[in-house]
Amino acid sequence: MQKSKKIVILGHFGVGKTSLIRRFVKNSFSDKYKVTIGVHISKKVVGFGSGETISMILWDLEGTDDIRMIRNPYLLGTHGAFFVFDVNRPSTFQNIQEDLAVLSKKMPEVPLLIIGNKVDLVNQDDLNILLKENDISFDFLTSAKTGEWVEDAFLQMATLLKDA
Amino acid sequence: MLERYKQQYIGKNIQFVFVDHDGTVRESDQTIFHFHTGSPIAEVHPFFETLSFLEGIQENELSFNCVHLEVGDNEHIVDIRIVGQEAGLLMVIIDHTQYYQEYQTVAQARNESIIKAELIVLKNKELEERERFKNRFIQNFSHELRNPLTGIVSITNILSATHLNVQQQQLLDFLKEANTDLKSMLEDILSISMMASGKLTLKEKAFKLSNLLELLEFTYGNKAKNKGLQFLVDTDERLPEFVEGDRLRLYQVLTNLLENAIKYTESGTVSLTVDVNQKRANKVSLHFEVSDTGMGISPENHELVFESFSRLDRYDNKGGVGIGLSIVKGLLELMGSQIKMESRLGKGTRLYFDLVLKYPLHSIAKSLIKTEGNIVENTVSKRDKKYRLLLVEDDERVQMALFKILADTEHFYIELTNDGARVIEEVINNDYDLILMDVNLPNASGDHLTNIIRELPFDKVCDVPIIGITANAFDEDIKRYLRAGMNQVITKPFEAHKLLEAVFKYLRQ
Repeated sequence: MQKSKKIVILGHFGVGKTSLIRRFVKNSFSDKYKVTIGVHISKKVVGFGSGETISMILWDLEGTDDIRMIRNPYLLGTHGAFFVFDVNRPSTFQNIQEDLAVLSKKMPEVPLLIIGNKVDLVNQDDLNILLKENDISFDFLTSAKTGEWVEDAFLQMATLLKDA
Repeated sequence: MLERYKQQYIGKNIQFVFVDHDGTVRESDQTIFHFHTGSPIAEVHPFFETLSFLEGIQENELSFNCVHLEVGDNEHIVDIRIVGQEAGLLMVIIDHTQYYQEYQTVAQARNESIIKAELIVLKNKELEERERFKNRFIQNFSHELRNPLTGIVSITNILSATHLNVQQQQLLDFLKEANTDLKSMLEDILSISMMASGKLTLKEKAFKLSNLLELLEFTYGNKAKNKGLQFLVDTDERLPEFVEGDRLRLYQVLTNLLENAIKYTESGTVSLTVDVNQKRANKVSLHFEVSDTGMGISPENHELVFESFSRLDRYDNKGGVGIGLSIVKGLLELMGSQIKMESRLGKGTRLYFDLVLKYPLHSIAKSLIKTEGNIVENTVSKRDKKYRLLLVEDDERVQMALFKILADTEHFYIELTNDGARVIEEVINNDYDLILMDVNLPNASGDHLTNIIRELPFDKVCDVPIIGITANAFDEDIKRYLRAGMNQVITKPFEAHKLLEAVFKYLRQ
């Protein structure tokens, strides 16, 4: 039987959450920024070598500069979460430790992957310095524009949730 | 009656759906979306697929606001209320598409403006950082150039005082001219970076304006003549003899303007005009103008020529680094003035500015001005004793220059050390009359060593005059060295007479 897994995508506004989902689900990208209000829900079925599949229900939540303001019902029944920041905008990762602490309080024991997005806009050396200087740990550095590491991030989440 | 009217308005916006405990749609009034009765609600939209956690919910109510639902071709932004009932779940779907779309427009504008503002701040920060890096680089680079340049200038001066044949003298004149150009280029580059970092301050004092103009007339008259150009200097009779201002910076402005005028003029005339606009109280407004009959600048490039390192393409074979007019602009702004330009391609260029300077009374001004060369000569010739001098310098070229300048006076026993760590020991064990101390030394800094010497518990030693020699030409550096206890600081490259003047000033007769 196919399992359905609810995955919420969180982070400040304008970090590229919608673009990451669009890249993963439809393999497309648009440069035009359209603010997400409320929640958009998409679905992608992922298969594994064993023949097993899971249905990833992706909740693209409205971005906020204060993670504590997320409406709690949106998070109910969440199996996995992504926290996305924009590597070009310090305001989206400056309080990352506090943001993550809030999320783990709101969603205890939910696997969470951290994504730094829009790496196509920054030089790799500058990026390394920035991450080191700000002491930021991350799971994936992605570009929704080029597709770099996007599928890997979602498949990693699928793998984490497969047996959960 | 009222109920019927109400239904016309609210009936179209609210849908009621009942789902049993198995997740099957049992009833739907289909007001907004079409839900197949008897089918699993999970098949309608992924939103409903994730509601398994609601199993068993009874008489509780959950609200999900602003959910984008797309069922078939039907897309709405809705609030969904889910109410647990005995037989299953009652879902109330309220369509707020219009309201949320308006909200979306507002949020879009707000977020875009915040992001834009953030990116502008970041961009500015990046530009500032680049500018700082550029200035730091220029400052360090010019600092490094000062040591070899000191050696070149000093040795050239020493050579010129020896017996030379005509050919050797000619070669030496070329070398001197090249030194002067190199020195002024170095000063220009340093000035640009100092202006950019706000470190350039004006040093205003009284000077004889006519001397400055005579110097320019002599220097650029020769340069123009060598290029087959006519050079005219026209000065107002009402010019005050003395003015108070930053002589060096005014000289830098005028030399840059004249250098450019001669460089870009192939035939005709280069002129320098100085007029008095007005005199009031003890202030005089002067009008300076440099004009040429050169190649001119096209209107679209008028602004560009005042930017650093932006020499126009067609000037590429003319040499230089393209900072002259940028310096002029920056220095004049610092002096409260503004450079103006009129230029026509192929006809020539006129660059002019007005400058307000103080002018002291003739007698006061004269007393403020020293004739440096004479002071040294008089001071040196009066002495008949020899002094013990410690020279602390690690750069061999500067060592050689200093050695030669000092030894030629025949007034010194010179001891040399190039290691900062040995200085204190030398000072304690020897009775020096004066120390010439480089600031940047291996193993210690000159200012730190000075500080230690001033704290030594031996009267004569701790009072020994110390003259600092440094390639760090910034005011803040020099002030720091003086605070550390140096009696005077001389910047590299230095002229021999300035060095001797300083040395003899602090030696007891």
